[in-house]
Amino acid sequence: MSKPKTLRPVLQGLGAYALAILATLFFAFPVFWMASSSLKSELDISQYPPVFTSFEPSLVNYAELFTQLDALDAFINSAVIVAMATSLAMICGTMAAYALARFDMKGKEVMAFEVLSIRMLPPIVSVIPMFIIARTLGIFDTYWLLAAAYGLAGLPFVVWVMRVFIQDIPQSIEEAAMIDGCSRFETFWRVTLPLLLPGLAATMVIVFMFSWNEFLLASMLTSQEAKTLPVIAANAIKPKSIAWGLASAAGVMMSLPVVVLVLLMQRYLVRGLTLGAVKG
Amino acid sequence: MPKTQSADKAQRAGEGKIATLLMAPTVIVMTVVGLYPLLHSLYLSLTNYNPTYGDAKEFIGLANYVYAFEDGQFWHSILITLIFTAASVSISLVLAVLLSLLFNLRFPGFMILRTVILIPMLITPVAVGITWRIMMMPDLGVLNYLMGLIGIPPALWAGSSSTALLSVILVDVWQWTPFMFLIIYAGISSLPKTPFEAAAIDGASPWRMFVSLTLPMLKPVIVIATLLRIVDAFRTYDTIYTITRGGPDFATDVVSVYLQRVNFRFFDLGYGSALSWLTLIIVLVVVLLFVRLTGFMKLVADKENR
Repeated sequence: MSKPKTLRPVLQGLGAYALAILATLFFAFPVFWMASSSLKSELDISQYPPVFTSFEPSLVNYAELFTQLDALDAFINSAVIVAMATSLAMICGTMAAYALARFDMKGKEVMAFEVLSIRMLPPIVSVIPMFIIARTLGIFDTYWLLAAAYGLAGLPFVVWVMRVFIQDIPQSIEEAAMIDGCSRFETFWRVTLPLLLPGLAATMVIVFMFSWNEFLLASMLTSQEAKTLPVIAANAIKPKSIAWGLASAAGVMMSLPVVVLVLLMQRYLVRGLTLGAVKG
Repeated sequence: MPKTQSADKAQRAGEGKIATLLMAPTVIVMTVVGLYPLLHSLYLSLTNYNPTYGDAKEFIGLANYVYAFEDGQFWHSILITLIFTAASVSISLVLAVLLSLLFNLRFPGFMILRTVILIPMLITPVAVGITWRIMMMPDLGVLNYLMGLIGIPPALWAGSSSTALLSVILVDVWQWTPFMFLIIYAGISSLPKTPFEAAAIDGASPWRMFVSLTLPMLKPVIVIATLLRIVDAFRTYDTIYTITRGGPDFATDVVSVYLQRVNFRFFDLGYGSALSWLTLIIVLVVVLLFVRLTGFMKLVADKENR
């Protein structure tokens, strides 16, 4: 879209810059505030008027994360659960997506419906049966439960998005390989998969993000052993006293991996987030 | 879609089973982890199961559902959720369109600002809740301080029942406008240039171009972004739970928070399941209404057949 040239381009340009910077400040300020609070001592954090930059940054809160909140355990829990869930969703989902994209199959509409309905399902609806089943099977408060739950949440999403990415790869490339004597599997492994890598990576990052950030199921389906990072961060908020610095440090530690990963993968993000409907 | 085999699905002899094999793990996982719990919850909703009174449960038919219709607290939470969703999604949508138009000017440096704006949607929602709760403290919070600098009287934010809902809507708008912005910006930047050039030659005003060209062409993108946001806003839990836990005076008692209370404070699991199913039906109705009103399925079908 191009804007018509006007007589006052300079003024308009300045106005646009001012607006853009204002908008950026609005969205960036709370992030800055979280990061700076995490570096403040208890004294600095309860100062009024608030201190913006003139404080002695300290890593005390980060140290306390590990001594008081068992952040290391929670970090390992989060990492293991998310890794299990993501691999489950990615492997099963990509297989199904390939079948849907490359073979004529019945039940495509059913699949579409399942994808959308699981996407719509408020997790609070499935939490009770999961809670009861987990207690019956004795897997309450273990990795398996959350990994299965997150895997399920990610699976339909992966199927849907990967199907779009696979359809983007021309069938003729695969046919050429098969004519040259590759089996279907070899063709997928040597020809299709390398071309799919960016799409796979973007999908994986989104599944990772959802599982990593998830709090509702994690808070209700764990008690001691399998607590994830969002759960221990929320534990820093107690009814009477709130350890603000500690909670902020937990926030930074949780958010950092997602921010870094996603910003690296920006290019395919839109495609993935819109279930393949919008090209980025 | 025509039922003939399209060129993109050339299938070789004897490969019929491969497709089934490839689908099997997904179908199994979805049935065991997805469908079964859902049906189990439907069954529970017809009982008076409450583990605090032991594991015995009685089949009580539709009694839970009858009770739910008289449960003012539940309908209050549904109403709060609808207001929250409608307000948050529409404000985000307007902001996202405006931001997309602004950033589509593509001045030098805009790309970095655009990337910075995306960050809120990546922050763990619990952390978002914590941060905003710190900033919104009535006495020590930085928001009241900043407002004081430009002469606005301090607010109680989430601490007062009259402003609490607005406060959590603000937080949701802050976190999720970037999501809509990302999608709508992608939509705007892929619009064809020629119609705009033609309109400019014909002397159309920028406003006219926006209403008659940009918006209609953007409709599919806007509809998809809005639908995804509605679904997610309806189940908002993390931020509201960390900021207000539904209070004060139930002013922010969205349905997820209310259900959490029924289920895990009172352990009224039979009744909780019934409410969950009602919620699910309400979400479905809202989504179907939206889909109907916007012709969403047609948009999707057009995409498939392009």
